[in-house]
Amino acid sequence: MPAHAHLRIVVLVGSFAMALGACAGSPPPSAAPVVTPASPDPSGQASPTGAPGIPAEPPDIALRVEGGDPVTGQLGTYTWGDGGSDAPWLPGAPLRIGAGEALVARVDPLVAISAWRAQVVPWDADGPAGGVQLGSGTGDPSFPAPDPGRWTVHLDVTYAAGLGSANYFWQVDVE
Amino acid sequence: MNLMRPRPRAAALLALCIAASAATSTQAHAPDPSLGGALWAQNQQLTFRWRSGAEPPAAIKTAIRNAANASNATRASKAATFTYSASGASPIGYGPGATCGVNGIGCFTRTAPDGGFTMWLREHGRVFDWGTLRWCQMVANPPNGCYDAETIALDEFGHIQILAHHVNYSDDRDYLDAVVQTFSRTKPKDGWNMHVYGRCDVATLQLRYDTTSATAKYSTCLKLDTTLTISASPTSVAFGATTTLTATLKVAANDAYARLRGNPVSGRTVTLQRRAPGTTTWTAVGSMAAGSTAGTYTTAVKLQTAAEFRAVFTKPSGEGLVGSTSSVVKVTVGSCTTSCPLSAPLRISGDR
Repeated sequence: MPAHAHLRIVVLVGSFAMALGACAGSPPPSAAPVVTPASPDPSGQASPTGAPGIPAEPPDIALRVEGGDPVTGQLGTYTWGDGGSDAPWLPGAPLRIGAGEALVARVDPLVAISAWRAQVVPWDADGPAGGVQLGSGTGDPSFPAPDPGRWTVHLDVTYAAGLGSANYFWQVDVE
Repeated sequence: MNLMRPRPRAAALLALCIAASAATSTQAHAPDPSLGGALWAQNQQLTFRWRSGAEPPAAIKTAIRNAANASNATRASKAATFTYSASGASPIGYGPGATCGVNGIGCFTRTAPDGGFTMWLREHGRVFDWGTLRWCQMVANPPNGCYDAETIALDEFGHIQILAHHVNYSDDRDYLDAVVQTFSRTKPKDGWNMHVYGRCDVATLQLRYDTTSATAKYSTCLKLDTTLTISASPTSVAFGATTTLTATLKVAANDAYARLRGNPVSGRTVTLQRRAPGTTTWTAVGSMAAGSTAGTYTTAVKLQTAAEFRAVFTKPSGEGLVGSTSSVVKVTVGSCTTSCPLSAPLRISGDR
């Protein structure tokens, strides 16, 4: 594909995402490149094709505290493009932090987020019932650590431009 | 220069706004959100086959067929139907080839209305980071912790229709309102073996695909305003002559009601009330009979004095319609000229 065609797609998709943000009453996405899912594989495989620059699944999300290493969350149930996957409630990727620290999420590859909600439940819970919300909003997620103890942190993310939504999990030990 | 060019863009943007709104404005205890893709045609017949090289074992095939039948039987709408055929257009697979992501046990794609769909279920015994997948159908005495393949397949068929995951209350007390759930449950938790669409699944199927008829019930997950109008013909009668009151009941013309907007509503109880002009107390005349066209109800009344009438539709207990009351119509009566009674009682024609 010629370079100018790539540029045109990026501009169109970016404009599209901004327009969607406007019609949904939410702030426009950041100026970061916005990707869109590919069409389903004509061969019938149950995932997008993963065209250049376009993730075939929802992006990874890593949580970190200031000065700490990022830990990629376990990807659970999601919808993405014209498809989706159903997964159980997950135990989560291990993450050890200090009390009172702020958790910041990083999306890779970068995809604009239109809404997110983080909640915490005891680590041995088998579902979200009774969860306590840690934060919610638009844009890149950031929220405070839960109280000391072992928890499952569940992050529910809706991506911009109708790309889809996904659930991520961490098993967080707060010292 | 193509002056029409911006219009499709605007239409497409509007459609996406609606889809995005539907997906993001959902609150707990509301109809399921919708996925962003296109709809199938109303009552579109979708056929599926087993994916070559990835055929499910017999027990899982049965579960998937049962789920397709359950979708057809409980959609309560003009949503698509699913039928197995050896030459079916859409493949359903099972096993390690599943493209369900690293942790998924079932997944789907949909390309409505012309591209068909796919579905995959992971294989029994697969070891994930979260544990080992057990399908209840694959063992003689299903242990606690197994997943019901029919429930998971019905969840996937719901996605294929257009349904996104239901948004539950924080304590999950409305979990049984939907089979299309973010987190499916294992035996023996409530809802682990749901073999019908929940009322909030059905609500969205009705909103997006319409109900099956004017007499069909609306999901109790909906709360649809109704409009009730009334007319009299004629509005002025001779002493002792008959006028016919006709009430028309419809779902309100609210854009949020999508395909249900303005639907005529038949087969419900609509009550006719009357009062003397200048008074405030209404008296029930009785239930109105079904009219000749959808959504209409009629009663013929013989009058010897002028009267005002209104129709009342009381919210039914078993469906998602809100009650409504019509405006008032007045019928005047001419003077009595021969054999006049001392009083002028109201009489109703027909069986009354």
